[in-house]
Amino acid sequence: MTAFVTLAGVYNTPPFRVERSRDQDSMTTSRALDQFLSSVERRAFKIAQLGLRNDDDALDAVQDAMMKLVQSYASRPVDEWRPLFYRILANGIRDMQRRRTVRGRIMAWLPARVDEDDDFDPIAEAPSHDAGPAKRLELDEAIGVLETAVADLPPRQQQAFLLRNFEGLDVNETASAMGCSAGSVKTHYFRALESLRAKLGEVF
Amino acid sequence: MTTDFEKRTQEVLEESTARLDGRTRSRLTQARHAALAQLENPARNWWRAYVPAGAAAAVAVLAVVIWSGPTQPVASPVEDIEILADAEAPDFAEDGEDLEFYEWAAGEVES
Repeated sequence: MTAFVTLAGVYNTPPFRVERSRDQDSMTTSRALDQFLSSVERRAFKIAQLGLRNDDDALDAVQDAMMKLVQSYASRPVDEWRPLFYRILANGIRDMQRRRTVRGRIMAWLPARVDEDDDFDPIAEAPSHDAGPAKRLELDEAIGVLETAVADLPPRQQQAFLLRNFEGLDVNETASAMGCSAGSVKTHYFRALESLRAKLGEVF
Repeated sequence: MTTDFEKRTQEVLEESTARLDGRTRSRLTQARHAALAQLENPARNWWRAYVPAGAAAAVAVLAVVIWSGPTQPVASPVEDIEILADAEAPDFAEDGEDLEFYEWAAGEVES
């Protein structure tokens, strides 16, 4: 990933070579972005899904983050993409959570209605790969309790835990993505671990 | 230092991610392609580059219109002075044709 170059330095070359270099760099940037986004998209979706508890909203948040990263930060050094992408995603998740809170307050005053579009599609919902029944059952249970516990964490603890533990960002990258200090990241992460241990200790 | 608990949670979340259904994976791929299309089709956003220049031009035109405004021709005092200071006599005095009429008119005004 770090082998890819940025657009910096192109402008010191003669005019003819600038055109070629820009084309080449554009292709290189496009390929690098494609690789980067495909490497993070599933984990990003999982993070958004746990934060929003809704698949469609999570997909919207991930797509929005992809669009904004490409639109505004494609020319930035490759090393900066990951924290930038997760910062955009975190902001998107937070905005959706706030909108949902406001919508919930408004909807609380309206009569409830049944959502007729919420049909279950067994083919679409089918898992992508299979494992042994016992192993699968064990993993199903582990995934269920862990995801419920993570989804129940306070937003900042959840963010710190998922970015550090799941996405593998270091403390400084996590701080950059969360828009806070490294010390705050450590505190949020520590509290998240304590909370999860208290809930999952027996299962894990 | 990563503890066993942290490793276990990481493994479980990775497993959960690997199990994403085909529909979700497909929609993520579509989202990625849509995002990257912005790089491949910059022509769709070409106008964005001209927005600042266009805005500046519009402000400049507006400033000129406001500055000049719908002005009415106002006689300058300088022009009056030039007429008064003109050495040439008025046409009627030179021609002398209707001099009697002007004398009668002046008399009527005085009376």
